[in-house]
Amino acid sequence: MYSRTFLIAISALGMSPLSGHAQLRVAAAADLEPVLPPILLQFQQATGIRAEATYQASAALTTQIQNGAPFDLFLSADLSYPKRLIDAGLADAAGSPDSSTPITYAKGTLVLWIRKDSQLPPPSLDLLRNPALKHLAIANPERAPYGRAAVAALTSLKLYDNLKPRIVTAENISQAAQFVDSGNADAGLISLTSALTPRLASSGTYFLIPHDLYPSIEQGAVIVSSTTQRAAAHKLLDFLLSPTVQAQLAKSGLTPAK
Amino acid sequence: MDWQALTLTLRLASITTVILLMLSVPLAALLVLGRSRWLAFLEAIATLPLVLPPTVLGFFLLVLLGPRTAIGRAIIVLLGHPLAFSFSGLVVGSIVYSLPFAVQPLVAGFGAVDMALVDAARLLGAGPARVVFTLFIPLAKRSLLAAGILTFLHTVGEFGVVLMLGGDIPGSTRTLSILLYNQVENFDYAAAARTAAILLTLSIAALAAIYIGSRSRGGRRA
Repeated sequence: MYSRTFLIAISALGMSPLSGHAQLRVAAAADLEPVLPPILLQFQQATGIRAEATYQASAALTTQIQNGAPFDLFLSADLSYPKRLIDAGLADAAGSPDSSTPITYAKGTLVLWIRKDSQLPPPSLDLLRNPALKHLAIANPERAPYGRAAVAALTSLKLYDNLKPRIVTAENISQAAQFVDSGNADAGLISLTSALTPRLASSGTYFLIPHDLYPSIEQGAVIVSSTTQRAAAHKLLDFLLSPTVQAQLAKSGLTPAK
Repeated sequence: MDWQALTLTLRLASITTVILLMLSVPLAALLVLGRSRWLAFLEAIATLPLVLPPTVLGFFLLVLLGPRTAIGRAIIVLLGHPLAFSFSGLVVGSIVYSLPFAVQPLVAGFGAVDMALVDAARLLGAGPARVVFTLFIPLAKRSLLAAGILTFLHTVGEFGVVLMLGGDIPGSTRTLSILLYNQVENFDYAAAARTAAILLTLSIAALAAIYIGSRSRGGRRA
């Protein structure tokens, strides 16, 4: 794994922190990239523990952890990937009432996003029925939780079969957003966290897809069993679930877990 | 096995190779025969696709060829649709992506032709086109073969550009490399191994056939 070589190279260079705690390594789903950095900074100020996150698709992170990537905590964009790791004995939710179920730390929201300068009417469910919609970008439904939610929502609306030839599939949410932001796709079903980033908030507008149209996108966390810093990983998880941080998540487009 | 992805990939690689050789032969001849200092910049530019990460190259093409630029709007007027998410878009992307793999062997091959022959041909009144067709191509046909094979294989294995520009549409932009990547990412390792095995077997067979053919026609020397 590249990441392991990289980490070995970094520690060989003597760049690992010299505090009592070694650095916590967090594997974080790509939709957390706009959300997590300030939270990790607050965590460091509150506890003195430095945490560094790697942002990738949940599926890719799962493969990496399966192959021994040295992460301490895994924040997935869904429940199925962390559950897969628990079932393989590679991760656990120790400390929670049910240690075989990932800990839900937030819920995701799906939005329909278009550019402000688009010729199409403002985003709404009617836009999905508009024949002028030539390309609709979604994330890969086989592995991206928001892609799965997008297909579920289109299926509930009985639009999926009709729209299928016009759907373009991106590797993840941010690439789906790029397809639309670059003007190549007319609209995209992306995460509210992406739509609220300054870049996309300035270039586009969004419509919240009603929650009853797709199964809730519960985002699950697990502790990687091979960690040597279990206590610190638990502290970060508790911090994420604290009311202050949960309120902060809500502002960035994630629904609090409880 | 997804035969649709295989035929799509072979079609993409063949079209790219033919177009790219037609562009690269005059370009390489210009680089070898030309005297201008600026040609060094042209050669540098023709090598640049090697420097950029393919996904970044794909992203730039997505933006450059999209409806928000004048080039992109001109394409939409001409074709009636944007280049992204279409087979023709992939052809354009592949040509840019594989350009160095066509140009570099040709520059090396043409440059190795004895310049005394070129000077003699020119003294006898041959223009650049005649020099290319009667000297460069016959004397550097191994380089031409190498350029063709490298371009073809590089396009078959192309991933990042297709990922950014394609949109994963079966039959039009889902190439074999995208299919393979999907299989790996979906934890379907058995299917991925089958796809990879078919791809590798076909490649070895095709390459061996080409190399055997070129050996029997006059050995390894061009």
